[in-house]
Amino acid sequence: MQLDYFRLIDRIVELDLEARTIVVEAQVPQAHTIFEGHFPGFPIMPGVLLTEAMAQSSGWLLLGVTRFERMPFLAMVKEAKMRGFVSPGQLLTIEAKIEHEGSGFAVTSAKARVGKELKCSADLTFRQIPFPDPSLRVHMDAVANAIGFPLQAMTP
Amino acid sequence: MSSTFDQIATIIAETCDIPRDTITPESHAIDDLGIDSLDFLDIAFAIDKAFGIKMPLEKWTQEVNDGKATTEQYFVLKNLAARIDELVAAKSAGA
Repeated sequence: MQLDYFRLIDRIVELDLEARTIVVEAQVPQAHTIFEGHFPGFPIMPGVLLTEAMAQSSGWLLLGVTRFERMPFLAMVKEAKMRGFVSPGQLLTIEAKIEHEGSGFAVTSAKARVGKELKCSADLTFRQIPFPDPSLRVHMDAVANAIGFPLQAMTP
Repeated sequence: MSSTFDQIATIIAETCDIPRDTITPESHAIDDLGIDSLDFLDIAFAIDKAFGIKMPLEKWTQEVNDGKATTEQYFVLKNLAARIDELVAAKSAGA
């Protein structure tokens, strides 16, 4: 994770466009100023960041499904459940699945685990719109490359 | 079996917390019921699931923006129900 750049995802482990699923890994940093406030003596990942990590995981899946034609923007969070604490240094494995592909929007469900232990889950809705600025597309391409987005998965 | 209008009225009532008895076939989803675009996404999701269709919201919005259609054609509920019936029929014909 690069929390200062709001990059919550480190690596795409598996992308299955036919099954509409993705698995990613996210390494929680051992130290960060966030943990100084959240909380002193008991550092844990904030629930909003865990939710964002699930949203970014879903986002990469949606980018793959639309072949980077549409940028997904988080619009709705439902049933967000923080089921256990996530501590500095832990490795999150996040799975996301597309539940529905609508016209201009999509709904996913996501779960994050540390080892086998389920830490959080949520149902997420995204608006999908053409990239509003070419520089955003360039940026997403660069991040895709950095996190190992399997471009071959998009070839028919 | 309830009508298409009854089903979408129930979906709108439950999704947007609007009293069911205030929703009529003449209600305009936006102008009368005050449903915003985000709530409409939720409604579209529920309608898509309930009827097994994909409402072409982007196409409808484009038609309204281009002046080729009015919001009444898609968002007055009796008209929305008719559009849904057409989509369901088209899907059945293609199945």
